Amino acid sequence: MTVNMHPPRRAARSAGRPSMRSLLAVSLTAAVVFAADASAEDATRWLERAAQAARTLNYAGTLVYQRNGHVETSRLVHLVDGGQEQEKLVSLDGPPREVIRSSADVRCYFPDAKIVQIEPRTFRNVFPSLSAEQARNLAQYYEARVGVSERIAGHWTQVMTFEPKDGLRYGHKFWADAISGLLLKARLIDDHGEVVEQFAFTDVAINEKVDRDMVKPSWAAAPPDWQLKQGSFGEMLPRETGWSASRLPGGFQKVMEGYRTLRGKREPVAQLVYSDGLVAVSVFVEPIALPAVQTGVSQQGGLNVYTTKYDDHLITVLGEVPPAAVRQIAQSVGRR
Amino acid sequence: MNENISRLMDGEVDAQEFERICVEMKSPDAMHTWICYHVIGDQLRGARCVSPRSASRFRAALAAEPTVLAPAALRPRAAQVATAAWAVAATLAAVTVVGWTAFSMVDTPPTAIARAREAATVHAAQIRPQGDLPADYLIAHQEYSPSTSIQGLGPYLRAVAVTGNEPRP
Repeated sequence: MTVNMHPPRRAARSAGRPSMRSLLAVSLTAAVVFAADASAEDATRWLERAAQAARTLNYAGTLVYQRNGHVETSRLVHLVDGGQEQEKLVSLDGPPREVIRSSADVRCYFPDAKIVQIEPRTFRNVFPSLSAEQARNLAQYYEARVGVSERIAGHWTQVMTFEPKDGLRYGHKFWADAISGLLLKARLIDDHGEVVEQFAFTDVAINEKVDRDMVKPSWAAAPPDWQLKQGSFGEMLPRETGWSASRLPGGFQKVMEGYRTLRGKREPVAQLVYSDGLVAVSVFVEPIALPAVQTGVSQQGGLNVYTTKYDDHLITVLGEVPPAAVRQIAQSVGRR
Repeated sequence: MNENISRLMDGEVDAQEFERICVEMKSPDAMHTWICYHVIGDQLRGARCVSPRSASRFRAALAAEPTVLAPAALRPRAAQVATAAWAVAATLAAVTVVGWTAFSMVDTPPTAIARAREAATVHAAQIRPQGDLPADYLIAHQEYSPSTSIQGLGPYLRAVAVTGNEPRP
């Protein structure tokens, strides 16, 4: 985005009597910088709209999730009833799976294994509370653009791209419904320009009537002959942990720090969450239970995990960032 | 032979030796080793790994362009052996030129890659088996991830996919 080609020293020398050329260059630079800021701001505003739409609208559609040449199709229904969100996600291919999210908890049904896994309320609306500093960070670490209109699942959408300026984050491309703001397609792109992961609706009805029956689980909340499994993690108790990651990619700031109790373990697990405004990285620290721990990277779609050891602790770093980023962060975790 | 391949990759051979090793490299076994070493190297450096499917793509691409001849492309480089710069070039050339030829000639490249992956795991004790993502961590993470806020339940698919990989009770 450099339009002003004058080296600073020359610009300073000519400051007494600015030439037409330098004036033009300065104003061009200002215009370009302004345009970049404006599109970053626009893109951020669109995302905030998308986050709000996802929370407040009724919608039902078919969602296709792609990663590493793997495709999964699911049915997604979202209902807002008396201010409460209710959501149902049913896998359409492969083994049947069902996820029901209510204001109380998230329940995953695995009918072939006859298991219901119950997680505590696991959604917080982080994005709408994006701080001014995080918004600035987004503009600093991503080239944000609001692009042309495209049609997705029969709806006209607004395209937004966030191209990273370093190799420690993925590129993002979003397609938001032009009318409601609901995100209809999201894509993660690596530094080779290849798609790491993609969510897309192939059909979706927005703001149409959704019956309560459509978001009810296909089984009883806890079928009698099914096994009820509580998720291993308890709720987050915010407090200082004494741990920190010293080599975070630029723009990542701590958004949460605390402890979670882990089922079957005496000692709680420390969790620190860092975010650049668009994605987050979690750092988990726990006393090592196993004598030998395999360390290294594992990946699923856009999520990368790096595990390593620090003294008698297991460090797990996980986030929607490339392998190099989780590794760098994990290797920098230590006591404050 | 394996040691020679290793030295060749590190750019530690002279021109004469280079010619000799190149002749030896014509055997499928040597090719396998060559591919293995490169995949191991890539794994250790954390580079993206060549997917087994790309072998068939390479073969198809090569079949479409029968005039691409690896030895011709490699020979001019012989003059520059034993320099560090060449070692870098060799890595690139190996993956692009020799790699292509190897994938098109050797019958079972996916096995070679699988073996290399295994070897890399053992060597570095670094790479966790695929599908071994901790679902609980993932869910605990998603609670605070902006992408969850933006996409709603969508990212939950990841967790479901992971949980689905768990062994049945």
